[in-house]
Amino acid sequence: MDTLTAREEFLRLILHNKGIIIKICNSYCPDKNDRDDLAQEIIYQLWKSGKNFDAGYSFTTWMYRIALNVAISHYRKGKQAGQLISFPEKPIDIADKRDGGDEMEEQTRLLQQFIHELKELDRALILLYLESKTYREIADILGITETNTATRISRIKDKLKQRFSMLNK
Amino acid sequence: MEDLELHKIWKAYDSKLEEIKVLNLQSWALNLHSLETIQTYKAKSKLDALATFNLWAVVLGIVWVLFLGVLVFGNRFQNPYFSVSVSMIMLFTIIAVGAYIRHIIIIKEIDYGQSITHVQKKLAQLETSTFQSTRVVWLQLPFYTTSFWHSQWIMNDPKFWLISFPITIGFTFLAIFLYRNITQENLHKKWVRTLMMSGPEYTSVLQAKNFIDEIEKFKRDIA
Repeated sequence: MDTLTAREEFLRLILHNKGIIIKICNSYCPDKNDRDDLAQEIIYQLWKSGKNFDAGYSFTTWMYRIALNVAISHYRKGKQAGQLISFPEKPIDIADKRDGGDEMEEQTRLLQQFIHELKELDRALILLYLESKTYREIADILGITETNTATRISRIKDKLKQRFSMLNK
Repeated sequence: MEDLELHKIWKAYDSKLEEIKVLNLQSWALNLHSLETIQTYKAKSKLDALATFNLWAVVLGIVWVLFLGVLVFGNRFQNPYFSVSVSMIMLFTIIAVGAYIRHIIIIKEIDYGQSITHVQKKLAQLETSTFQSTRVVWLQLPFYTTSFWHSQWIMNDPKFWLISFPITIGFTFLAIFLYRNITQENLHKKWVRTLMMSGPEYTSVLQAKNFIDEIEKFKRDIA
């Protein structure tokens, strides 16, 4: 994957799917500066692992695997070093935007916060679910059975809904 | 709140991200375009850094083994106690070097494109394995106390039996005790933590061990 064409293609795919990297970075890394490091590491690993990519598989599934693996490792390193900071009041950059205060924005912020409270693997599970991946794809990315995926997702959803309803009371 | 609503919130988040340039991904990806920058990132990569650390441990280990080899060869078995002791120290160092080489191979084999539970378990095992496999070096302890023994001293000097020999026996029991007890299963014991490591290193191995348990639990189907 070292020819100019391959690099152009890699760049095109990364930019086309940059939303995946951004959302994973936001979910595993509340600190903005640290998030830059994580995104760099993800892009580097994607580039490095490019030679192992099997064209028979979906590019995004492969990308999710790499990005989530790097993000979880990065998160764990931060946890070990005691560098993790608590989730800020405004966890994502979009919350900093101009006309703040609308309800959907607040709900987005809360959903991010609730997701961040989940354990690393559960967080990956719900991210993939919200990204509308099928149970089969999620099971494949995580390396667990479809039944396990369905049961766990259902539990996490209940937990999230409970958190939202508690706030609405 | 229905499933649809969760998806709706997520979609709203998605479209906001499209609107705003959250990260400078474009410039990073463009930077990656040049091979020189990729090399810089390679140096920064955590896993590559660990591989480099292991590589240095291997290099230093080999230098130490070569030095010990010169000592043994230089002595030409004139003092068998010295030669056997240094050879044993050499042997345990070689075993430790072997463990570091194995770690480098594991690191090189890790493919982030494999499933998350598989990769994360391998990474966590790597952390605990560094701790487990290098404890063999404790077994060389008694040989440091026997390297200066010689026949005349053993035959003629009662101080040997009163001081040196008991010290060696003591170190032998200590080495076996440490080898058997300094395990990740005993990391909760205060003396193991005090002796082996402090702060982040201890936390790192302990958290890796807990994470392996967590992955196993996560993989199990739940009713």
